[in-house]
Amino acid sequence: MAYLMIVDDDADFAEAAAEVLAHAGHEVEVRTDIDQALASMEKRRPDLVVLDVMFPHDDAAGFGLARRMRSEDSPFRDVRILMLTAINQRFPLGFSVNDIQSYWLPVSDFLEKPVDLDALVERVNTLLGGGGQRAQDPREQRA
Amino acid sequence: MTQAPHISTAGVDDWVELSPGEPQAAPRPLRGEGTFALSEPMQLGYLAWLCHCRWIVTGILAAYGLAGRVEGVLGRLGLVEPADWALACAGILAVLNVGFLAHARRLRRREDYNQIVPALWLQIICDMLVLTGVVHFAGPLTTYIPFAYLFHVVLACIFFAMPSSLLVTLLACLLYASLLAAEDQGLLEPRSLYQADLGLHIRRRPAVLLGNALSAISVWLVVWYMAMHLSDKVRRRDAELAGTNRCLLQAQREKTRHMLRTAHELKSPLATIHANVQLLLKGYGGPLTPHGRDVVQRIARRCRSLSLEVQEMLQLANLRNDSQRPDVARLDLADVLGACVRQVREAGSERSVRVDEDLAQAWIVAPEDHVKMLLMNLLSNAVVYSHPGGTVRVWCGTDGGRARARIEDDGIGISREHLERVFEEYYRTPQAVEHNKQSSGLGLAIVREVAHAWGIRVRLSSRPGEGTRVELLFPPPDGAAQAQGDA
Repeated sequence: MAYLMIVDDDADFAEAAAEVLAHAGHEVEVRTDIDQALASMEKRRPDLVVLDVMFPHDDAAGFGLARRMRSEDSPFRDVRILMLTAINQRFPLGFSVNDIQSYWLPVSDFLEKPVDLDALVERVNTLLGGGGQRAQDPREQRA
Repeated sequence: MTQAPHISTAGVDDWVELSPGEPQAAPRPLRGEGTFALSEPMQLGYLAWLCHCRWIVTGILAAYGLAGRVEGVLGRLGLVEPADWALACAGILAVLNVGFLAHARRLRRREDYNQIVPALWLQIICDMLVLTGVVHFAGPLTTYIPFAYLFHVVLACIFFAMPSSLLVTLLACLLYASLLAAEDQGLLEPRSLYQADLGLHIRRRPAVLLGNALSAISVWLVVWYMAMHLSDKVRRRDAELAGTNRCLLQAQREKTRHMLRTAHELKSPLATIHANVQLLLKGYGGPLTPHGRDVVQRIARRCRSLSLEVQEMLQLANLRNDSQRPDVARLDLADVLGACVRQVREAGSERSVRVDEDLAQAWIVAPEDHVKMLLMNLLSNAVVYSHPGGTVRVWCGTDGGRARARIEDDGIGISREHLERVFEEYYRTPQAVEHNKQSSGLGLAIVREVAHAWGIRVRLSSRPGEGTRVELLFPPPDGAAQAQGDA
């Protein structure tokens, strides 16, 4: 089990993703604000952050947080970041693996919204090094 | 602003071609004197043009001077010989011109636009000083050479705003009046082109001098006023057109920004709906009845297609956003096309459509994202509009140093009356709507934008019920790099 933080201003999406990730066996915290997320990280260091790009006050706030986390004096330099985005201005045609780099896209991986929740769980588990499990279908649980 | 590509139709009924258009240059900001000054590239052009004109004058003076060195040539025409003053003036102009040309080239190379107006001023002042010398030796009252000052007056009206052009005109008046005064006062010995110059006698009379000076100066001032008036009107209109063009470009950028934001605002809630629909389908909200599951699946399908449509709107907006030019790379078309074919094979197998490929190495220079977008749209169309059991054939290779690609299907085809409109946004033929209700109608508009941006020639030929063939001709790798630089 890993401790995950979802940072996304869309609480409805974040709660849906959190529910599936929690079913996959992870402990999940949802933060809808960048400052709140940083404050929470300082109290407890997450194993992985699922991070949105665009926030209401800043179209690139997600990039900003990722860069702060990767800065030299940050205690979160090695926290894995899975970035989610509907669109962004820097890479308007969508990310590609070539875009992941230390400054512009300092993340471990990314997914584009709308996200297939099974793919989200699989990607999170891959980034955690197989430390999680596939989200078990609640219908299977009931059976 | 993105220029619409040229769509040509042939006399035969079944093909349409997109020709890459010339990139439209954004207008440069106006700089220099006054509100309605010329743009810098035009000013630089005039600098060079002035130098070329000066070579002609230099040549005429040199020829006259050389003729004067041959005994009897000018004398037979009643002209004074030798005419070494003409050779001297030609020499001065030649030296000046070499310097001016070198300076103009340096300014062009360094794009040092602040120095254009001083350079123009320097050239005009030097020319008028040399001209005053020529007028002196030719005779200020007995030839029409003093009218050459008018060239500079008119040029100043074209180059400069009103105060500066008036200054040039007054300077011309001052030089001419000073020359007459200097000759009248005996500071300069009166000279003439002609062996028998009546002017030498009448010049001694103050009324003649004054009358000549005043009439010449009046003519120059009237010419200045008229030329300035016309030139100002033309420049005012130019400035209005440039302003309108800037407004249009700004409006286009605003529209693009607005579209990006709107697309995000639409896509985010769709992502949330999509996520929550998945929760329902996976049973996180409890068991669903078969009817309930069917309803939720319908919601999921519509959500997916709407999300795809927003994505295509977004791609189109980004392609038209000229502030974001992606980096180009040297790509093997076979690799890019191969990757796209692998992506569409799954959709093809769902529809029982086979995708055959025959890909040979072919180098192109373009942004990978854009080329993929173009190819994916064409390949998806070929698969989606094929009949079950059909085959899509994909080929690429090099011909005449240029990369070519071909995508053929034996699907529903496009009839003649629809062919030339299929690249329009949201345009769908009735047959296409009947065959596939889920398309946004933006795919070929995206193809058109990418093709236009990177100089790719697209030829689409089709026959209803028999299939469609799309042929792509890419610019040569070096040419594409050049086009990117120009754009």
